[in-house]
Amino acid sequence: MEHQAIWAIGIFLIIYALIISEKIHRTILAMLGAIVMVVLGIVNQETALEHIDFNTLGLLVGMMIIVGITAETGLFKYVALKAAKSAKGKPTRIMIALMLITAVASAFLDNVTTVLLMVPVTFSITRQLRINPIPFLITQIMASNVGGTATLIGDPPNIMIGSAVKELTFMAFINNLTPIIIIIVLAYIPLFIMIFGKQIQSKPEFQQSIMEMDEKAMITDQKLLNKCLFVLGLTIVGFFLHQTLHLESATVALSGAFLLLLLTGEPMLEKAFHSVEWITIFFFIGLFVLVAGLVETGVITKLAEKAIELTGGDLLTTSMLILWLSAITSAFLDNIPFVATMIPLIQDMGTMGVSNLEPLWWSLALGACLGGNGTLIGASANLIVAGLAGKEGYPITFVKYLKYGFPLMILSIVLSSIYIYLRYLM
Amino acid sequence: MLTYTYDQRIISIQEKANEADIEFQIELLGDNKLDAKLKDIQHEFEENAVLTDVLFYVYPNHKYHIIVRQDFYNDFILALMKHRLLLRVEWK
Repeated sequence: MEHQAIWAIGIFLIIYALIISEKIHRTILAMLGAIVMVVLGIVNQETALEHIDFNTLGLLVGMMIIVGITAETGLFKYVALKAAKSAKGKPTRIMIALMLITAVASAFLDNVTTVLLMVPVTFSITRQLRINPIPFLITQIMASNVGGTATLIGDPPNIMIGSAVKELTFMAFINNLTPIIIIIVLAYIPLFIMIFGKQIQSKPEFQQSIMEMDEKAMITDQKLLNKCLFVLGLTIVGFFLHQTLHLESATVALSGAFLLLLLTGEPMLEKAFHSVEWITIFFFIGLFVLVAGLVETGVITKLAEKAIELTGGDLLTTSMLILWLSAITSAFLDNIPFVATMIPLIQDMGTMGVSNLEPLWWSLALGACLGGNGTLIGASANLIVAGLAGKEGYPITFVKYLKYGFPLMILSIVLSSIYIYLRYLM
Repeated sequence: MLTYTYDQRIISIQEKANEADIEFQIELLGDNKLDAKLKDIQHEFEENAVLTDVLFYVYPNHKYHIIVRQDFYNDFILALMKHRLLLRVEWK
């Protein structure tokens, strides 16, 4: 192996190990690793910039701006309260309703944003019902990761895959992933009721007080809400049509974001850019350059050769290996660097004779996104919810979450394995 | 202990302890400006970093149910005073 390839592997592994140790922030590490790759000449600056996927970044920034402004309107509180009233104030029904709202919202919005919007409403409703919020929070964590898997824009791994593989359009993600996500959600509902139903009993008078609330009072700015709904609707239509319109998904998201800023005017500009998680954006930039080092020095090609040797190029074995490896890895590690490494590896498999890559891409998407449900550290949304719950006096420990999360994650991967086999490999 | 008085012609306040919380039933009898003041207080508590300090539940006809965590009781009373929904606040 070439001298530079060994350096690239060394830098990548050290950065990866430090990210896992969580001693230093992952963004600082990824950016430092990327800078070292350039300074040592493993990739030059021009090549490094070519490897930064601006479609992924543009899509993330655009959606963060749209959601950041929409959150100001009280829309999510309105929807949650409306759902709670439709559920007649019954705790189990409300839990399932909020879980479904989280799943649907996560399919179109960032998971962390979705749970940040749902958690305060959940605390408000459960406090009024005088019940434990933890079952609600756990079901919402799981719903955010499952729902996020359904579309191209729902979860960063999907954004990265969709951006890297041009044939995998917004509609392709919906056609291929949404059916299995609906199956998983339907499988989870009775299990959630069985597991948590008895823990969330409430008195009829508390349920009645939910029914009497005025949900319209939740909307804080009707004019702004109208503008947000118009732009959000237009953006989602844009995602559905992006292939027909010959537009990248980032162009659609950024068009929506800046149209909304045009409609809301300058006062919203500062706030909108504050809602962009620049730390996450720079984490992606660092990772793209780190992986560029592995790609440019031929390490990824070698790994792909080894993977094909191991599986004999058999599509079923390779798909199952990718699905389960992604799921188990994502349950314990950040799925973004894992997917960033796997994308060029699968692309290389294509050039080595694996003719049908489609099941491999869907296996990667399902494994990486659903795996996040396995443990409390599996996804950012999990940690955010646990952090907020702990601060409010409702700790969700690693073990407490593992008890529910890991078996339910395994169930989702078993269902995904059957789906992949029946739909693509039989 | 913090005690308070208010103008009974424009506002009605009832409070009772419930587990670790104090629950308020507030009815605003004056004009919509009072609702705006209470909304401002709601906004202040929703914007801070604590999610369960003071929870507001809005009902029709200017009625509000507010659940206040005991450790935020003083903050809530002082917020009512700051927005002139109370006439007097004093330590007893």
